[in-house]
Formats: sequence, structure tokens, C-alpha cells
Amino acid sequence: MKVREVIDLIKQNAGIVWPDRSFRDTLKTGDPEAEVKGIATTMMATFDMLKRANQAGLNMIITHEDTWWNDRDETKDLLTNPLYLKKADFINKNGLNIWRNHDSTHAMKVDITVTGTLRAIGVKGGENASMRPGILPIPEMTLGEFASQAKRLSGIRHIRVVGDPKQKVSKVLDGPGYATPRFTLDTDVVVGGESQEADGGFDNVEYVADANSLGIHKGLVMLGHVVSEQPGHDDYAKWLQTFIKGVPIQYVAAEEPFWV
Amino acid sequence: MKPTHISRRQFAALAGTVAAASLPMRSATPPTAQAVVDKLQAALGGEWPATGVEGFKAGDPNSPVKGIATTAMATMEVLKQAVKANANLVITYEPTFFGRADGPPKPAPAPPAGAAPGRGGRGGGGFGGISPDDPVYKGKKEFIEKNGLVVYRLFDHWKSRKEGEMVTGLADALGWSKGRVKPDDVLYEIPSASYEDLVAQIKKKLNLNGGLRAVGDRKSTIRKVMLCPGTMAPDLIYRRYAEADLMIAGEVREWENTFFAADIVAAGEKHGLITLGRVASEDPGMRACAAWLKTVVKDVPAQFIAAGDLYWRAV
Repeated sequence: MKVREVIDLIKQNAGIVWPDRSFRDTLKTGDPEAEVKGIATTMMATFDMLKRANQAGLNMIITHEDTWWNDRDETKDLLTNPLYLKKADFINKNGLNIWRNHDSTHAMKVDITVTGTLRAIGVKGGENASMRPGILPIPEMTLGEFASQAKRLSGIRHIRVVGDPKQKVSKVLDGPGYATPRFTLDTDVVVGGESQEADGGFDNVEYVADANSLGIHKGLVMLGHVVSEQPGHDDYAKWLQTFIKGVPIQYVAAEEPFWV
Repeated sequence: MKPTHISRRQFAALAGTVAAASLPMRSATPPTAQAVVDKLQAALGGEWPATGVEGFKAGDPNSPVKGIATTAMATMEVLKQAVKANANLVITYEPTFFGRADGPPKPAPAPPAGAAPGRGGRGGGGFGGISPDDPVYKGKKEFIEKNGLVVYRLFDHWKSRKEGEMVTGLADALGWSKGRVKPDDVLYEIPSASYEDLVAQIKKKLNLNGGLRAVGDRKSTIRKVMLCPGTMAPDLIYRRYAEADLMIAGEVREWENTFFAADIVAAGEKHGLITLGRVASEDPGMRACAAWLKTVVKDVPAQFIAAGDLYWRAV
């Protein structure tokens, strides 16, 4: 099967009006006519992830995030960058074909970036969620317990939290990656990936800190962008297996880069 | 020690001299917040358009100023400390009301006749703003008014100042002031340390809690660093990473810079990236702002109050 054929099958099976004009969901490296030996799904085509995929004999990478460290995967300013040259050389030498699945994945009726993470942090009720899952109830526990549970179950090592660890929480609002939801007082906790810390559209960090100072007990749990959308790429691999036959398909996680 | 005899009269005269010298000159009527800000704007120079993010955010600009507090972000905790310290003019680098709009949406200006319909309904240059009925907004605004505080945001003019105190302030807080490689630049040479030890030092010196995140080889040796408080310009690391062992930023975007740093590791190179947290990285520059204000506004005391690191880490 060719790279082009894999992409066509995904378009046919996604159940959405395909975002044809998306600058994100395009082939970033490689050749549409290349023969696919195996498919790796991932949150981000990091250099480390590409090495592991290549070692596993997978030459088509389906990545949710960018390859060249900018949303448009623009390379014109990077052509003499030593790191770019090393990564590009590895990709070319090993014949890796990298295709991005960002906008189409978020447009699907069930958004695996959301459902995978809710499952990974132990929040039930979001199994069929879209990109905006709404507020989900959880058994009452403290914010500290909730954050610890998220860490223990997901394996994410570096979770940042704002709020009083001893406050009780029972309602959770999650959003993937940079789509960390704007805080609303209907919920106890907002779970997100990443957001500008201040001077943005809505500054959750300051809002939650000030709410607590005013006796309104709320919590913010920031998982990190990549890890906050990553677990669902296992589901994406399994979904591909239902309509792409004869090639190995597996989930190859991007690394969590922070040390603790 | 040989006792020295000083007459009572001599002692009183000496003590009087010392006391007079240590007290700043105070005018009979304290300046208003507006007068202080006028002085500050004149000293910084440049244009101060009303459409910018800088300006009064809460309180009455005609209030007499008893004292000035500078901070990276006027959180409730900072405001409470300002009240205790008798500093009723708070100068904040970041917004007070949870976003760039820094308050409820401003009414959209009436479109010129015949103009195409705009997006409408969103003030603050596309940043929505907070509902005037939001309890956190209301509570904070009431606290400010009840305690007679005035909050002013100083951002672009301080950030872009030629002297670059946001950077030098951070260097100073980390004890690296002498290591600046060339003027007006972010590159510093610092006493050699392992990355791991350096992170521990930084956490201690900046009094950080859970916000700091580090990427790179923790055993590597750090001698050259780049200091980028606030949001680091994304292309800086692409252009200049080879010049430094470590980039120290306030915040970056993961898909741009964090994973560039992760890919450096995968490529077997030894250059790291730390994000301190945006606000925590800006506090030292606002400490420097208080020191500068003392040279410009001499008739009211100025002090710095840290917004601090608001994050803790899940365990």
C-alpha cells in the first residue's frame, strides 16, 4: 500500500467533511507514492520518536503536532540550522513519510485526543466526547488527590497545579493541548495541556489563584501540551487497523521531555 | 573599647542630622496616582496611546499616593500585601483582570457608515474580557476600591527600555550580573555548574515552587546561558542555541521551543532549556523597576512585592 492510499482511506473513514484547505493536515516529508512498510501514530514526530519508529520498521508516521517546530512546518528559515539538517538527514536517509492528522482528528465526532486523556487520568463519562467534552462529574476527592491520581494513572511526570491541594473537587472540565478551556465557575477543576500564562485571551492561572484568595475554591491542572493529547493516539492506531490491512500499525509515543 | 564622652546636646544634634538625612524629602501634599504616572511616563519617554495595554486598570487616578508597589502581576495576594505595606499605587507588569483585555469587554467602536460587518461583540483587540458579574472579578475590584488602591499596568515601555532591566534584573537575582558577555544582549557567562545543581540554585534564588521545567542532559556542564524573562521569542533558540549551554526562559510554546530542545537532546547535543514560569521570571525585572522608580519619583516610597510562583507540582 502507498502513502497516498493510506491518507485516502483515512479521509474516507473519518466521517467528516475533510478539511481540504488545512495547512496542517498535509504530507510533511516523503513521497505519496512510497510503499508503506508500517505506520506509527504519535502525538509528535520528535527526533527521538522518529528513531524509535524507524527501528520498529515503520516508515509512515502519522503525527498530530508539527515536525519542524512551527505550526505551519515552514522550513525556509531553517535550511542552514544544524539541528534541522540532522533531523532532515535522518528522515531522508531512512525514507520516512510524515503526515499530520491535526485538524481532521479534532473535527471527528469522537476526538481521541480528548477521550484518550480523560481515560488516562481516570475521569469517566468522556468515552465518546468531542473536542469540547463539557463538565464531567468525578467521585469527590481533594485537588491534591485528583492531581496525584492523574499523575499515577497517566504516567505524566511533571504536572503543574494551581489551587489549594486540600479543597474538595467533584467536577472536571478538560481541553486538549493549547485548547485549555477558559475557566468557568460551574466546574471545580480545569484540566488542560498548555496555555500562555498571562496577558492572553483568558489567564486561568491568575484567575484560579485569585478565586482561592477570595474563598472560591477552584483548581487548575496543567498536564503539558504533548502529553495532554497523546494517549488517544493508541486509539487512533487501533482505529486505523479496522480499515487498513496488511501493514503493521502501532502507537509510538513522543517522549515527555521534562526531567523532574 | 574606649568610652567616648558625648554631651547630651551634641548627641541630640548628631541624631537630628542622621534622622534628617535618612528621610526622603516629602512634599506637604502627596502626589496623585496620575501625577506619579505622568512623571514615570515622562521619564520613560515615547508614545503612550490610550489603545495600548498600559494604563490605569482599577481605582481612582486622583487618589493621593502614600506608597508605590511594583510587581510582575497584581494578584489578590500581592494586593493584600500592598495594603499592609501602605502602598496604595500598584504598578503591575501583567494584567490584573485575567487577560489582555484586563476587564470587562469594552463597547465596540461604532463602525464607519457602509463598513463591512466585523466580528463584533469582542472588545480588547479580539480578547473577550471578563463578565462584569464574574464573582472573582467583582471580589477583586471591590477589594481594590475598598482599600483605596490604584492599579496601573506598565508593560511595553518597561519591557523595551534600552537599559533592559527585565533581563538585568533576572541576572541580578541569580547573582550573574558581572557575566554579561556584551551590552544589550541576553548571553551571560556564569560560574560553571552541573545543569542539575544549577536548577537547584535557581529554584532557591528565585524562591520557586512547582513551575520550573527543565529539558536537556541534567549531567551536562553549564557555563553560558541566555536569559529571556517573559515569553521567549520563538526564533531565538533556532538562531542562537549553539552559543549557550542553556536557555532560561519565562515561557515558550511546547510545539515550537520545548521540542526543539528535546530534539537537541535526541541529536546528542548538550544544550538545555529551562522555563521558569512567565510571571516568576518577570518578578526580578519589576524589583529593578521599584529601584528605578525611587530615582524618578522621590516624594513617595517605592517597593517591590513578588507575585511569585503560583504552581505546585503533583506528587
